[in-house]
Amino acid sequence: MTANMDRRSLLGAGVASAAAAGLGTGAKAKAVLAPGVRKADFKGAVAAMRKVVGDEWVFADPDAVAPWKKSYTPDPYGKHIPVGAVCPETAEQVQAIVKIANQFRQPIWPVSTGKNMGYGQTTTAMPGQMILDLKRMNRIISVDPELCTALVEPGVTYRQLKDYLVENNLPLWIDVPTVGPIASPVGNTLDRGVGYTPYGEHFMVQCGMEVVLADGEILRTGMGSTKNPSAWQAFKWGYGPYLDGLFTQSNFGVVTKMGMWLMPAPPVYKPFVIRHRKMEDVARIVEAMRPLRIANIVPNVVLMMGGAYQLAMFKRRGEVWDGAGPITDEAVSKAATANNLGMWNTYIALYGTEGMIAESEKIIRAAFAAIDGEVLTEAEMKDNPWFHHHATLMQGGLNLDEIGLARWRGNGGGLAWFAPVAPAKGSETQGQVALAKQILGKHGFDYTAAFAIGSRELHHIIALLYDKSDPAEEKRADDCYRELVTGFGERGWASYRTGVHAMDLVAEQFGTVNRAFNAKLKDALDPNHILAPGKSGIA
Amino acid sequence: MRRAVALVAGLALAGSAQAAQKLGEAQAQRSPEQVYSAVCGYCHGKNVGPVIRGRGLPAEAVEYQVRHGQNAMPAFRPTEITPAELKALAAWIQTSAADPKEHGQ
Ligand SMILES: Cc1cc2nc3c(=O)[nH]c(=O)nc-3n(C[C@H](O)[C@H](O)[C@H](O)COP(=O)(O)OP(=O)(O)OC[C@H]3O[C@@H](n4cnc5c(N)ncnc54)[C@H](O)[C@@H]3O)c2cc1C
Ligand code: HEC
Repeated sequence: MTANMDRRSLLGAGVASAAAAGLGTGAKAKAVLAPGVRKADFKGAVAAMRKVVGDEWVFADPDAVAPWKKSYTPDPYGKHIPVGAVCPETAEQVQAIVKIANQFRQPIWPVSTGKNMGYGQTTTAMPGQMILDLKRMNRIISVDPELCTALVEPGVTYRQLKDYLVENNLPLWIDVPTVGPIASPVGNTLDRGVGYTPYGEHFMVQCGMEVVLADGEILRTGMGSTKNPSAWQAFKWGYGPYLDGLFTQSNFGVVTKMGMWLMPAPPVYKPFVIRHRKMEDVARIVEAMRPLRIANIVPNVVLMMGGAYQLAMFKRRGEVWDGAGPITDEAVSKAATANNLGMWNTYIALYGTEGMIAESEKIIRAAFAAIDGEVLTEAEMKDNPWFHHHATLMQGGLNLDEIGLARWRGNGGGLAWFAPVAPAKGSETQGQVALAKQILGKHGFDYTAAFAIGSRELHHIIALLYDKSDPAEEKRADDCYRELVTGFGERGWASYRTGVHAMDLVAEQFGTVNRAFNAKLKDALDPNHILAPGKSGIA
Repeated sequence: MRRAVALVAGLALAGSAQAAQKLGEAQAQRSPEQVYSAVCGYCHGKNVGPVIRGRGLPAEAVEYQVRHGQNAMPAFRPTEITPAELKALAAWIQTSAADPKEHGQ
């Protein structure tokens, strides 16, 4: 492919031409200062921050900021580019930085590991912000092998935590989002992300936080603020109003430590895939799965992977479709079959003793036999790469294979997640599939999607894949995303989470009273609006 | 094993076998092999990215790629891979031999 050739030849020609081209990077993106912030304020803030963290950990000239400008999400108008980055090493430094931000009214956007890929990475909802990059704070503070808990700093990646557990022979599992190696428990949990073991709903298994507030004070949530706290990682609720939720998907504080629960490694682990051949089967799958999930017979967060999504992980679009317009169901079906996949591939796993697993397996096999599902295991799937991938995820294993998605439509690496939520009922599926296909199709994009059942809710996870190296396509992706939000919103399907490019629009779906309430909290907690203005539509 | 290649650049700083991070301590500087296996190796030579070892890719170009993240590659910040780690890694990639177990994409 020509794009491939360009990439290779760039390197051949050496770094100078690569830098000059800045191809497919954030290098050319121009940042502007935040409204009301003058050049002198920005300079003052930068100088003061340098005194706190050292010259080498403040980044303010446009070239030096390049690594923070990179994002898969569409930004056709350049509204989300950070103006700098500051990288503290301790909570005390965070406190000092927050005070400087207030003094100069320079907004700062906290990230933990900054790999919120498809949601904005280290770019921001409103312009002119400095990234408060917490990756250097990566201490694993404690692990309690009896209670099966951990207390970690924001910069600890899943890989670091896993290495620690493995090297110390602790029989504890982690639960990862699909991109575990480079992402973090703190960043993922604070954006209310998910994984695929029984501990997949991450905010559910979070326990206790340390938070630097906008006024520089340190708050410990739950039991953490008592004298000699003993149960900080054991008891979530503390006393009085429960506060932890306020610091997720929000801009009310900077989390500097987080407690989490870990799953004891089960004696036996058995992954399954249930294959269905027809697009319309998804309704029956959800109906069969709901009672199994609610009764916890299927204990993990379930993924129902659409055929096109699966293909996009390991194939290039050109290998399976060369027609005009979006890929058709027929083409997906043909390629899926050729790769031992269905139109829906439902991944579940069982954990426990041989006996427990055998009992549950009987019930599950009966439930899916009744709706023509093929229930398959490692014995049949062998080294099928898709099965291997999901079998890895459902035991908290680490890989990045799924980022192959970002190359489905060319090398440009464009991806925006659209993730509306509905109740886990079969009747909620078909209408969504039709609407998604209609809106995506209108803009020339494929329906590459999955459904997930956490417990009683159905997440529709739509990967809007586009070629970001084509400015016209980037603009179309942005338009398409907005139409998805409003189109689904009208039918009662609003998103559980969104990227920096659409935070305001998604907030609108939740109504004026909700927005006003968040605005009041913001005014009370951060009167100068220096923490991540625009996060979740909160200015 | 193939890991011996690291010694070519004489940069196996942190002692590659024991990566052990101690409780309460930030991650120490990692060797090029450790960074490769913890980050690059999940994509390169696997499903996502092209093979980058054994091609004599110039170290400066590698450094540029890592900090800028061209196309589908995310950028990696100095907070994720320190300047010292990156320098050693880039030199190691330039001189490392190809790993026959890796395949390009
Ligand atoms: C192929 C692919 C598959 C993916 N699969 C999944 C998946 O299965 N599940 C899933 O959940 N996600 C998934 N993602 C999305 C994303 O990459 C992950 O959610 C990732 O964990 C988020 O990045 P992070 O952990 O580095 O968090 P960060 O980027 O560090 O944080 C995310 C956001 O949370 C807030 N925040 C972070 N830290 C703090 C703090 N200390 N204080 C206050 N606010 C803070 C900020 O708003 C920040 O922008 C996927 C992405 C890709 C490309
Ligand atoms: C998430 C997956 C991913 C990770 C992790 C990753 N890369 Fe990449 N990398 C890619 C992709 C995709 C490309 C191709 C980019 C393009 O199309 O221009 C690439 C391209 C490159 C290139 C250019 C290769 C060529 O043939 O032109 C180099 C050099 C490189 N990466 C180095 C690294 C290093 C070093 C690391 C580890 C610090 C790393 N990458 C981590 C995905 C990744």
